[in-house]
Amino acid sequence: MTTSDPSAQARATPKMEARGISKTFHTRAGDIVALDRCDLAIGQRDFVTVVGPSGCGKSTLMMIAAGLDAPSTGEILVDGRPAGPAGPQRTVVFQRFALFPSETVAENIAFGLRVAGIDRAERDRRVDEQLAFMRLAQFRDAYPHELSGGMQQRVAIARALVVRPEILLMDEPFGALDAQTRTVLQEEVSRLAREMNYTVMFITHSVEEAVYLGDRVVVMSARPGRIKRDLAVPRDAAWRGLEIEEASNHADFIDIKREIWELIRTEIVRQ
Amino acid sequence: MTAMPGPRRRTGSSVPQPALYGALALTALFAGWWLATAIPGVVSPRVLPSPLDVVARFFFLAIEPFSGSTLEGHAIASLTRWLIGVLAALGLGIPIGVLLAWLPPCRAAITPIFELLRYIPPFAWVPIAVLWLGATTATQALIVFIAAFPACVINTQLGVSQVEPILLRAAKTLGAGPWTTLRRVVLPVAAPSIFTGVRIAFGNGWMALVGAELVVGKQGLGFLISQGQINDSVATIFVGMMAIGALGAAIDALLQRAQRVILPWKTASVRPLE
Repeated sequence: MTTSDPSAQARATPKMEARGISKTFHTRAGDIVALDRCDLAIGQRDFVTVVGPSGCGKSTLMMIAAGLDAPSTGEILVDGRPAGPAGPQRTVVFQRFALFPSETVAENIAFGLRVAGIDRAERDRRVDEQLAFMRLAQFRDAYPHELSGGMQQRVAIARALVVRPEILLMDEPFGALDAQTRTVLQEEVSRLAREMNYTVMFITHSVEEAVYLGDRVVVMSARPGRIKRDLAVPRDAAWRGLEIEEASNHADFIDIKREIWELIRTEIVRQ
Repeated sequence: MTAMPGPRRRTGSSVPQPALYGALALTALFAGWWLATAIPGVVSPRVLPSPLDVVARFFFLAIEPFSGSTLEGHAIASLTRWLIGVLAALGLGIPIGVLLAWLPPCRAAITPIFELLRYIPPFAWVPIAVLWLGATTATQALIVFIAAFPACVINTQLGVSQVEPILLRAAKTLGAGPWTTLRRVVLPVAAPSIFTGVRIAFGNGWMALVGAELVVGKQGLGFLISQGQINDSVATIFVGMMAIGALGAAIDALLQRAQRVILPWKTASVRPLE
């Protein structure tokens, strides 16, 4: 099921590359090595999911990839050049939504466009397009606190996509949602990935989610976080396009899931 | 999924209960006051004038100048000084509050000075203010400023420091610089706390002003009641006191209304939609 070198096509011109990323936190109890020389190349239009035991530094890796946190060593490249500070080239969907509470749904989505100085007509057009795409049209003028968690996360995804980022970073985006809402959003993001061909780095602690969404699943080791394994999940797998409930009953799906789960289990035990 | 709800409606179409009780209590207070003065021998009119005398005095003062001005003249004098003082307090206090919240070295430097000055009551500044500025509007406005300033600074600092860091990160990834983040994320999110500070500042300023007017100046509502005392006119004192109370309450009511306009997202429906 898995190819021997899944990052082969990414190696040519990776959209984003993490090179030798290490991160050490200095605490009173001593230094904590959160990440240890992580290398990860994400090709154009790859949907890469990153799984690992909790505390393995996967969120830290994403914050560094986003430019929101500085690595202790190593660098992040986009199109082969140093990525520089955080910006709309790499937008982030956070676990806890992070919507601006004083702005309506439409204003939240338009935030990045306004900052970029895009004129009003174009802004409205693109916001409307996103509202329709994320099925939010009727909530256009609602405030975030009036929406359920699932709806808030749809707004956050729309806000991150509307600026047309080169790469979309998602940090356990469904971790704060109830199981039913999570399932619906997983299917939605899977649809989005297939229709729009975005380059995505997606952090999760759910193996099932990682397999269902990813073209590649990157497994991280327990702390200090290292890239332990990089597995390809074929885009043309038989279960692609099915609902997650059905897909996860497929023999192929179960095989990959078991393989990954075994890797993570050894890490948890080792810890 | 349900449709978007309309603006929040009051429960039912009848008169809201709190307003009714409030009106009843006020009526009872005035009835008691009137009874106490209407029955001869209970209270001397030199101690407590009848409500009717106060109303009559109100109309008299509204038309005839007393101690230099009509009642409106005194009220406008007070409101002008108050406005100058509180606007200066907002204009300086809110930016300083933001700086204190955002720049730890700035906070470390300013906080001790601020904490020391904060415990000098506004009233204690009257003598030095008179020496510096004379018995002028500036003196009164300075006292208002001193009374209003701390609430602006403290509540702004509180509001700004409570803005979740994740919102700042989200703004950053969407390309916002510090100025845009301040204007579109930090200040709106801190606004309810800032607003609370403004309300406290307005109230404190108003109270300190009336106090200062009792001892300094030749105009204003505080001056009016002190003149009522000198002229042995209890009704004048009552009119002045009630005007001070009514204007203070009106200012606060206006502010609360303004809050609904300025912070619509704080007063919108809290019912989750799905």
